[in-house]
Amino acid sequence: MDFLKEKFPDAQFGTLVNGDVEVLVPKEQYEEAVRCCYEAGYKYCSVVTAIDWMDRLTLVTSLCRIDPAEVGAVTIHIKVDLPREGATIPSIAKLYPGADWHERETYDMYGIRFEGHPNLRRILLPDHWQGGHPLLKDFVDKRPKRPRIVRKGFRDSE
Amino acid sequence: MEQQAQEILINMGPQHPSTHGVLRLMVKLNGETVTWCQPDIGYLHRCFEKLAESKTYTQVIPYTDRTDYLSAITNETCYVEAVEKLFQGAIEVPERAQYIRVMMNELQRITSHLLALGAWAMDVGAMTPFLYCWRDREKAYSLFEQITGARQLYNYLRIGGVRNDLPEGIIGSPSDGEDKADKTLWGFVNYIESYVIPQWNGLVTNNRIFQYRTQGVGVLSAEDAVAYGASGPVLRGSGVKWDLRKNRPYLIYDRLEFDVPVGTNGDCFDRWVVRIKEMEQSCRIIKQCLEWLAENPGPVMAKVPRVLKPPKGEVYHRIEGSRGEVACYIVSDGGPNPYKVKWRSPCFTHLQLMPLLCPGHKVADVIAILGSIDIVLGEVDR
Repeated sequence: MDFLKEKFPDAQFGTLVNGDVEVLVPKEQYEEAVRCCYEAGYKYCSVVTAIDWMDRLTLVTSLCRIDPAEVGAVTIHIKVDLPREGATIPSIAKLYPGADWHERETYDMYGIRFEGHPNLRRILLPDHWQGGHPLLKDFVDKRPKRPRIVRKGFRDSE
Repeated sequence: MEQQAQEILINMGPQHPSTHGVLRLMVKLNGETVTWCQPDIGYLHRCFEKLAESKTYTQVIPYTDRTDYLSAITNETCYVEAVEKLFQGAIEVPERAQYIRVMMNELQRITSHLLALGAWAMDVGAMTPFLYCWRDREKAYSLFEQITGARQLYNYLRIGGVRNDLPEGIIGSPSDGEDKADKTLWGFVNYIESYVIPQWNGLVTNNRIFQYRTQGVGVLSAEDAVAYGASGPVLRGSGVKWDLRKNRPYLIYDRLEFDVPVGTNGDCFDRWVVRIKEMEQSCRIIKQCLEWLAENPGPVMAKVPRVLKPPKGEVYHRIEGSRGEVACYIVSDGGPNPYKVKWRSPCFTHLQLMPLLCPGHKVADVIAILGSIDIVLGEVDR
């Protein structure tokens, strides 16, 4: 990924176990890095997601190139470390319309707010959901639990 | 003075029979013309990704079946391969297991496309093909039952191979015909090639009414298809020759001969034709696998530890599913459970096309477009 190395010499480069490239950039350079990939032909956004490391969140944006002649296509994963509380990041939905729902899902599940997103609402959970962001590791389901029905004679717990 | 009809907002679903599950489409209509369309999803959300974090690596496999329940083997392949990659070469999958996986994948692609085409044809008003699709899918399912023990949700793949070898006599011989379609794999493939596909072409593809319903409807340009993250038959229908089986080969696809069919106009009809042609190519792949499998007996399971603890690492594995690019992102922290599983489903991404494709068409075309992108709500909502 020479074009990224030239432009972002300070970014941390790495490889995933399947050969994909990962680039860790500071939050300020995220939008620029995505645009740089876009201009290099990576016009297909495969997924946007996040990883909760307990002390920080890592946003992962996976970009691919659709080139019919290419064999062994590599995905670029652009990563940004964000705080666990009140994280914000610029949205890339204008550049990649396909990232729209993936960003909504990341907001829904991890609470990362995407600035400039056209319609940042919950997507999988209901709009009125108040219980927080379920894929965070410290999520606790506070909804009332139904009592567990135990039939007598089937279990010898007592 | 021109009179403007009042715009009305209608809800299609969540219980509409043509939405293939529980999908709610909010549609604004001016007369009968759609001016705005927005899908509302989440009715079938069951926290697959959160659940996976509390299960061991092997226990997640049956859950992947239930994401896209119409092509369960594909999902298993994606997950199982990703975990095998996490081991960084410590697990070597036997060659025979890889051939069986490819063969099962393509068999699954045929059944999945059959249902997609049948349900779509029924949505646009042709009842008969749906019954034929059921008849043929039934034959494939009885083969699946003989191989895996289950008809729809198989739990057949294992990390390091497959659960059991093919039962005796299931391969059959290349001369098997229609009468053995539900007994041997050769019989089924020959039946699909010589009987089913010509029948579909004669009944539906060359049918003038069907062509009027689908040609020029829901046109998706190649640039839009890439920008919106489309993959699989939807992307190829728009004329982009992109297939992860060719462009990023996994399993043993690089040893097999097959073509990648593409469309030209990117309308619903092209997506139909691409699916029909893909079924032919799947038959080709299965035949090559069957020839190899008949001659090369061997183990189908690698030696794997009883408790699977992959080393720390991250993997993003993409494969070509029946509906498009299925991918999963797994993070391992060295423990017995995955630290994080992210499931990238093609249908979730494809549903974003509805607001782009529907405006300007009649309300009946919404159903034709929805059929053409072939969604499974189990996978959209996970």
